[in-house]
Amino acid sequence: MHLSHLQVMLLFAGIISLAFGFLSRRRVKDQLKSALWSFVLFLVVGVAIAWLIYPFSR
Amino acid sequence: MSEQEKLQALEEPAEKAADVPQRTAALPETEANWPAPNTARAAAFAIAGWLVPGLGHAFLRMWGRAVICFMTVGLLCFAGAKMRGNIFASDSTDPFATLGFMADLGAGAFYPLSKIVETHGPDVSHADGDYGTRLLATAGVLNLLFALHAYEAARGRKA
Repeated sequence: MHLSHLQVMLLFAGIISLAFGFLSRRRVKDQLKSALWSFVLFLVVGVAIAWLIYPFSR
Repeated sequence: MSEQEKLQALEEPAEKAADVPQRTAALPETEANWPAPNTARAAAFAIAGWLVPGLGHAFLRMWGRAVICFMTVGLLCFAGAKMRGNIFASDSTDPFATLGFMADLGAGAFYPLSKIVETHGPDVSHADGDYGTRLLATAGVLNLLFALHAYEAARGRKA
């Protein structure tokens, strides 16, 4: 199974966000909200770190 | 404060305590059905949750979490195996490989299943295999976290 770097990041972020969201909250609405927020943060921070590393990769 | 006021202040906690059974009945079903804290029982739930991801939460009637646990750990293991990640074995002298084995073993029943899914063996010379190795380790560690949560929930410390 071949996935691009972005696809792997999306897959990982989605699964982990779902797990943490449902583990840390009680009500379903709060769980989904927490999972979605966690997913967004994963992507934002991941892309931010990628850009920070970019100058050193060249 | 007069004697009557002092008596009233002493009686108030008793009146509030009378409301406790009604408050308990209003709580969600999972909390009302929690057994009394029992360390051995909690440990058994945790071990069951490690062996079969989500089983510990299923015993506690936390059905949503049980399903999520099973699906997330299973999906991570499946994706990691399909990407030909390295599934560490127990017979390794390298300390990092031993650590990797302990992480992979955390996935419980999905550990041998991952070996069955990975038909062509690991291939860490490509990025896919590297990612697969990480996904497999994450699945194991995540399952251990779920097992710990089941233990804490069985002891009444977590919701």
